[in-house]
Amino acid sequence: MRQKFHIDFIKKSKIFFCISLGIMLICLILNIFLIHTRVDIQFTGGTIVKYSYSGDLTEKQITDVAQEATKDTISFTFAENLASSDANSHMVSLEFTNSKALTVDEQNEVTDALTKAFPDNNFIVEESSSVDASKGANFFFKCLAAVILAAVLIITYVAIRFKKIGGMSAGVMAVVALVHDLIIVYFVFAMFNMALDDNFIAVVLMILGYSVNDTIVIYDRIRENRRKMGPKATTAEVSNASMNQCLTRTICTTITTMAAIGSVLVVSLIYNIDSIISFALPMMIGLISGCYSSICIAVPLWVMWKNHSDKKNSEKNSKKKKSSKTEKKSGVELAKE
Amino acid sequence: MKRIGKWVFFVVFILILAFTYTSVFGIYSEYGDYTITYIKGIQDIRWGIDIKGGVEAVFAPEDGVDASDDQMNAVKSIIDLRLVNQNVTDYELYPDFTNDRITVRFPWKSDEENYDPGEAIKELASTAKMVFRGGSTQDGEELLTGSDVTRAYVSTITDSKGEHPIVVNLEFTEDGKTKFKDATTKYLNQTISIWMDDTCISAPSVNSVISDGNCYIEGGSNGGFSAEEATSLANKINAGALPFNLKIESYGTISPSLGTYALQAMGIASVAALCFIFLFMLIMYRVPGFVAFIALLGQLSISIMAVSGYFTFIPSFTMTIPGIAGMILSIGMGVDANIITAERIKDELWTGKTLDGCIANGTKSSLSAIIDGNITIIIVAVILILVFGPANIFSAIFGVSTTGLIYAFGYTLLVGVIANFIMGVFASRLMLRSISGLKFLRNKGLYGGKKKS
Repeated sequence: MRQKFHIDFIKKSKIFFCISLGIMLICLILNIFLIHTRVDIQFTGGTIVKYSYSGDLTEKQITDVAQEATKDTISFTFAENLASSDANSHMVSLEFTNSKALTVDEQNEVTDALTKAFPDNNFIVEESSSVDASKGANFFFKCLAAVILAAVLIITYVAIRFKKIGGMSAGVMAVVALVHDLIIVYFVFAMFNMALDDNFIAVVLMILGYSVNDTIVIYDRIRENRRKMGPKATTAEVSNASMNQCLTRTICTTITTMAAIGSVLVVSLIYNIDSIISFALPMMIGLISGCYSSICIAVPLWVMWKNHSDKKNSEKNSKKKKSSKTEKKSGVELAKE
Repeated sequence: MKRIGKWVFFVVFILILAFTYTSVFGIYSEYGDYTITYIKGIQDIRWGIDIKGGVEAVFAPEDGVDASDDQMNAVKSIIDLRLVNQNVTDYELYPDFTNDRITVRFPWKSDEENYDPGEAIKELASTAKMVFRGGSTQDGEELLTGSDVTRAYVSTITDSKGEHPIVVNLEFTEDGKTKFKDATTKYLNQTISIWMDDTCISAPSVNSVISDGNCYIEGGSNGGFSAEEATSLANKINAGALPFNLKIESYGTISPSLGTYALQAMGIASVAALCFIFLFMLIMYRVPGFVAFIALLGQLSISIMAVSGYFTFIPSFTMTIPGIAGMILSIGMGVDANIITAERIKDELWTGKTLDGCIANGTKSSLSAIIDGNITIIIVAVILILVFGPANIFSAIFGVSTTGLIYAFGYTLLVGVIANFIMGVFASRLMLRSISGLKFLRNKGLYGGKKKS
């Protein structure tokens, strides 16, 4: 069979494990000490209001007026308003750090204060969202349930479909790779200081499907090669051959998928649409991670497991043979007596 | 192997192009100002509020009151009524009976510069004011209010002619019974009208004095109530008698300008993605790559059809930005089936078999990987739809969704995968087998094999 690549993934697997663990460790340390994870008001409850306005105002002017109008502490984010044709148009988003949803009246007070203080600057509410803490928590559990449910169903499916190559171990390793990818996706959110929101859940679930898809295509090859290459080939040899044969496909599919999601990312970066950036960027990195983890994590781990259990089995078998032989011998001796 | 006719390729090709064209542009005919839509195109897609701007709010009973299903239906009907009064017709309303929540979503009309969505939400959640008035006008004497009514329900009676018309029964509180007795005495053979906010919901005439509080409203002259009319009226009356107020649990607004802008961005992104994938597939896989791209167009048009209402049997769907993202993602993953097959054919070609044999073997051996891989994506998509979608079997556990955005992502992803099976697997194979019969395309190099063979 034609084989373009001859990379010994299994032999190099320790390097891959180190790279993955290293990246995670660095991110974890940064996450704990430097960059803290933000959680969107969708989960925690709270209120965010985005205004657009024109003209030159200092940030101080706005923060003072807005803060005056409410008892809650507000955190401000300023940006250019690219959606407007007016070059001098700006955006400011106010996050009320109280976990209770702001009532319509309370929100109107802030808006009124701003329009009154700056009548010529054309303050307009562009976007607002307000979520009660209890509903946020409810939504969070819903997301968690969705992720767990999907993971369980996928393991079950893999376990049934790949019985011939040890379904359960294959399923478990596919999920290990998956957890690897999900951790990476989480760190992308944390490192880029993007709040965990429903986009996070959508990306997590998407990567869940994609990562396992990648792993399964390789498992499929291993199943086929196991049959073709005969019993003499070791698990490592079969796996290496399978991964190398699948490599072009894995890379090409990742390229086309990345092209699709990448163009979404580039366009949303140019247009500065936050809600899509926080979807496309982690998805991109998740895709790379998904492609990497199936080759460099899932299959090498599976080979290690397989070798380990084969060894155990063969030891057991040889012990059984030995003991049965001695029994026979003693049986014969007994008969002689 | 059975050879497939050369014409098959052209038939499939033209069909896919026709589908793509009509799904994008639709078919319309115009008579002056009047447009008839034969087939719905992209412009007929119902966009979600994150694109065209709008309001989303979740209401719940105040102070954590546990509302009954009837009461939730009453809440729904009052919000229905108020939305119609506000001239909002294109709204979505999702009651969640498990968690006693009701979600409403409606667009923000772009021609309304000074529209105040906050006020609109407040109005929807305000306490329903139901009044029974003497006569049929709003200035009539106030006889009873919502708090005098315990409940309204639909039942059938046997009238003097032996027929069984549908009626709306009313039950009153002790206080209400006395008031109603006085009212019916005063307005015997006249009209008592029932007003909800500023709308007259019913104006029955009094046929007899009712002293025991056992009252029913019969339908008008045109053969009485239909079951639907009666239920609607009972719900409205119940809404007026609700023992709790509604609170706004969460709400969000997006202005139309921001959303349109995002839609434009997504449009550019999808065209860019398509162009890149076309070039990539053509360079990497030549003939199978070309076929893959045609199949991809077909897949995309199926995805669009599934949301635009192209097929009348698929209910129209509200498309959101995550929905578009799901669609673009399925474009990227859509060629996966073709890539797996093309790689297999390449492998076969290098063993030196005939072209036809290689295509047959390649398509056969790649099928299991394609199916296994796609099923995991289907699992994910279905879970997204079930957990985050409107009412379904999972609602008992999770409640009906309030975040419709992820639902759209799951839906387009699922449609994408199914469309991929039709186009990327079935149509692609048909086209590939057929196109490989063309003389000038019989060079193995065009399929990734050695050039000179």
